[in-house]
Amino acid sequence: MHDDHGHGHPHHDLDASSPEIRVEALEDLLVEKGLADRARIDATIQRYEHDIGPMIGAELVAHAWTDPALASRLLADADGVVAELGIRGAEIQHIEVKANTPGVHNVVVCTLCSCYPWALLGLPPNWYKSPEYRARVVREPRAVLAEMGLELDPSTEVRIWDSSSETRFLVLPERPAGTDGWPVERLAELVTRDSMIGVARVADPAGE
Amino acid sequence: MHPDAGELSAADPNSVEPNSTWPGVHDLGGAHGWGRVPYESDEPPFHAAWERRVFGLLGAVTAASAQRPGEFRYALERLHPDDYFDHGYYGRWLAGFELLLAEYGVISPDEMASALNRGANRELQHRSSPIGRAAPTFARDPALLPPDVPVPPPHQRGVRRDLAPEPRFAVGDRVAAPAAPQPGHTRLPAYVVDKPGTVVKLHPAEVLPDSTAHDLGERPQHVYCVGYDAQTLWGDNAEPNTSVYVDLYECYLNPTNGAG
Repeated sequence: MHDDHGHGHPHHDLDASSPEIRVEALEDLLVEKGLADRARIDATIQRYEHDIGPMIGAELVAHAWTDPALASRLLADADGVVAELGIRGAEIQHIEVKANTPGVHNVVVCTLCSCYPWALLGLPPNWYKSPEYRARVVREPRAVLAEMGLELDPSTEVRIWDSSSETRFLVLPERPAGTDGWPVERLAELVTRDSMIGVARVADPAGE
Repeated sequence: MHPDAGELSAADPNSVEPNSTWPGVHDLGGAHGWGRVPYESDEPPFHAAWERRVFGLLGAVTAASAQRPGEFRYALERLHPDDYFDHGYYGRWLAGFELLLAEYGVISPDEMASALNRGANRELQHRSSPIGRAAPTFARDPALLPPDVPVPPPHQRGVRRDLAPEPRFAVGDRVAAPAAPQPGHTRLPAYVVDKPGTVVKLHPAEVLPDSTAHDLGERPQHVYCVGYDAQTLWGDNAEPNTSVYVDLYECYLNPTNGAG
């Protein structure tokens, strides 16, 4: 795995400011000092590329859509539900779930850093970590969401959740029409990461 | 890439006294000058092989250096704006790694420089080390922090603590946070400073990052979710029917009668 970062090859087009060569040098030094292990590094990367991702949050959302009692508990005590379902991992010491309704739309940001519920959604996308999103979504959320393809009715209340403490937020999107009777697994496939951050709706499977 | 560093950060740490970079460039909420969000739906977790390696090193680097809550974030906040912004999120992690490993005496800038030359088969310029141009940690006066009240041993790992003293505020109380009394790490975003808001919920109590990041003890605090009407934050230019919720530690807050 570590071969793909160009280890051992001259970098004729790079200078010392390039993160490619700086991380390679840093990794080599840490390994030489016995402070890092390449197999463990590879395993961590693999875990976050394949095992920990939005599918975990999507399944939680699909469960909530099909089980009103679980949905109420999720909104009142997400920590309890998350623990019960055996979801463990980084960045979910305290979780709050905010439900979108026809009248209320929730959006999550971290203006000071890029905090995000890793164990439920995986690693955050670049746009979430971008200064553009962090700076603007608290001041002009409707404009930012419209640019991202989500037009909100002026009558819809917008609530922005800035993750300034160790609490992490997850949006429970609205269940799309035309999914009555769908099993959890099929519903979960509809739920996107962006809908659980609050910058997208879950698309109607009929394509509306 | 960084549009108006002069406005966002107090000053360039290369040209002025260290510690004057306050508030730091990281405190972005509401900042002007930023354009369209670089939105890509269904992004992969990494966009380049080097980003994978940086992410993969997080555990090893923090095990060898910053382990206290808020300490790694404070390292990122002390970076020069170029090191903070130029290579995105994982670029800033990498610069923060170099800074912390140097400060903890694990990897010196000289060792890094020779490793860079070794890997590249040629003499490289070292002008880009983030270490010389980062701000040092600010020596905070503990007397300006809330008292460090002992709490029962933590029942779990992480930052949550069972706090014996009753919360000072209740849901519905009107509160406002004055500016932090001294530079350093804080979870108080500048855009809510002095603005009146309403407590909407209590979160579990947590250790105070403003203290732990500076190695001054846990000083656990009740944490409140405070709601702000957009009009209060942004004035007449605010979008209608919008509110912003920010999680704030008890020591940040005072009662207020302010309207808004």
